Amino acid sequence: MQPLVYRHNRVTRLTHWINAIALVILFMSGLQIFNAFPHLHWGSKAEPREALFSVAAIDEDGDVRGYTELLGHRMDTTGVLGVQFTESGPLARAFPSWITIPGYFWLAGGRRWHFFFGWLFALNGLLYFVYNLLNGHVRKFLFTFHDAAKVPAMILYYLHVRRESPQEGEYNPLQKLAYTSVFVILTPLVLLSGMAMSPQLDMAFHWMPAMFGGRQAARTVHFLLAFGFVSFTFGHVFMVLTTGVFNNMRSMVTGWYKEKVPTHVEIVSETATMSPSPARVPTLALEGEGKGEGAQQADAKPNDQTPVPERKVDSESNPKDEGHADEKPKA
Amino acid sequence: MKNPRLDLSRRKLLFGALQSAGLILLSGCEKMFNSLQENKKFLSLLDSAEDLNLRVQRFLTPRNKLAQEFSPQDISRYFKANGNPPPITMDYLADAARQWSEWRLKVSGLVTKPVQFSLSELKSMPSRTQITRHDCVEGWSAIAKWKGVPLAGIVQRVQPSSKANYVVLHCMDTDDQGTNYYESIDLIDASHPQTILAYEMNDRPLPIEHGAPLRLRVENQLGYKHAKYIQAIEFVADYKNIRQGKGGYWEDQGYEWFAGI
Repeated sequence: MQPLVYRHNRVTRLTHWINAIALVILFMSGLQIFNAFPHLHWGSKAEPREALFSVAAIDEDGDVRGYTELLGHRMDTTGVLGVQFTESGPLARAFPSWITIPGYFWLAGGRRWHFFFGWLFALNGLLYFVYNLLNGHVRKFLFTFHDAAKVPAMILYYLHVRRESPQEGEYNPLQKLAYTSVFVILTPLVLLSGMAMSPQLDMAFHWMPAMFGGRQAARTVHFLLAFGFVSFTFGHVFMVLTTGVFNNMRSMVTGWYKEKVPTHVEIVSETATMSPSPARVPTLALEGEGKGEGAQQADAKPNDQTPVPERKVDSESNPKDEGHADEKPKA
Repeated sequence: MKNPRLDLSRRKLLFGALQSAGLILLSGCEKMFNSLQENKKFLSLLDSAEDLNLRVQRFLTPRNKLAQEFSPQDISRYFKANGNPPPITMDYLADAARQWSEWRLKVSGLVTKPVQFSLSELKSMPSRTQITRHDCVEGWSAIAKWKGVPLAGIVQRVQPSSKANYVVLHCMDTDDQGTNYYESIDLIDASHPQTILAYEMNDRPLPIEHGAPLRLRVENQLGYKHAKYIQAIEFVADYKNIRQGKGGYWEDQGYEWFAGI
């Protein structure tokens, strides 16, 4: 049994779930708003027939077809985009009702959801970021040049080409890259491009629509970034499901996470006994907590070279303390 | 030792379960969101964002800061005329043919000097010309050149009483139920230098589909605030007693009174 460590503080857990709800609602109500004008343009204005992306329904002699056009390439997307099949027959609708809030067409309703949860998303994100900046947690997943050098190795590890994970702290280089781009690129830009659609804010800050290339361009960027969040979420949920869904969920609900010995360690330890290489110990010791090769091969001599990342650890469940390894944390 | 086949079938089962859970979740979610949408208490919670938007956006905008003005080559080739169809009654069309010689703009309400203007009187007053971007609540934008009388000048002229907080614009156009369009803005927006009563669009008399003879331009807000076919301006303390009490035709149907975003 591996010991449990206290991985996610209360604020992180709370803001994580608020954020999850807010993102889903923002995405779905955003599509409701998009449906009111299902065309994306560049520049300040939306000149007809100059759209970069369009969803439309066309009546072809009684047969209603849905089309999606991207940069002049038209695709029949009947059933999904443009036309949706309902119990009362085909319905012209850019995004289908099951993915919009409200489910029926009501722009005013979609806007109210969107702006309320927009505020919630922004303030919740601010709370998370400030709290974890002050306690130093943000530093653990901030992607640096040092991490950039480790990205290829991490990709090879994920592809099962490389046996050892180049991970050093709590987060591996690709995780850091993903989280950092969400915080440094995706979130600020999605807020700014959203605000750049406000005529009042555009009056106050002329640079706001200008930085995207005009209000319609900001709308296009906002739409694309929304799908950036969707792809991040898919990747995130995929990783949660495939790297021990119970453990991951427990850590984000209760805070307690079971330290994992990377699957490669069994194999590595075999090779490692053949050629012990102390120089490689820090890179191999996942989480820097004395597990991995170091712990496997040198039970008598705990690996103290490994840097220990700052972390709140219940003294009784200190993963370094092998003697208490089976103890559960106090609730 | 793990059995890879067992692993695979377990994975299949997991994905199958997720898939069906997803489908149930989706249809359940749609129902949940729709019923929340009908819930008055929940709606008023969502509405709190409007007040926040108004306060924060006002706070961030320096008084009399101008909206971006564009150059003549930015003017849209196509400018969609949204909203109700024009009020094409016999009277309206006959007056249009006479260059609006019968039409009057009545300014009344909580003012010391109620007044009526003919179109030629408005045209002889100091004017402002601006090339600005029109942002529809639907999402599109179009750019046009507008010429008109700053509303601030009219506010000054009629001398609103200290009780007056809002300017209500009563319009001639109606929807298919016969309900007249109307709008309201507060005195802060009414006094903004770019808030004008426009009688010209792109150097020509305001076309019928864009609100002839007179429409509002209030450049810090979305298109539905820019009332067309104006026939009367009323200064009021509150818009709660007008129609459904939300301050405008679209507001009465759920759109925000403050359309700054």
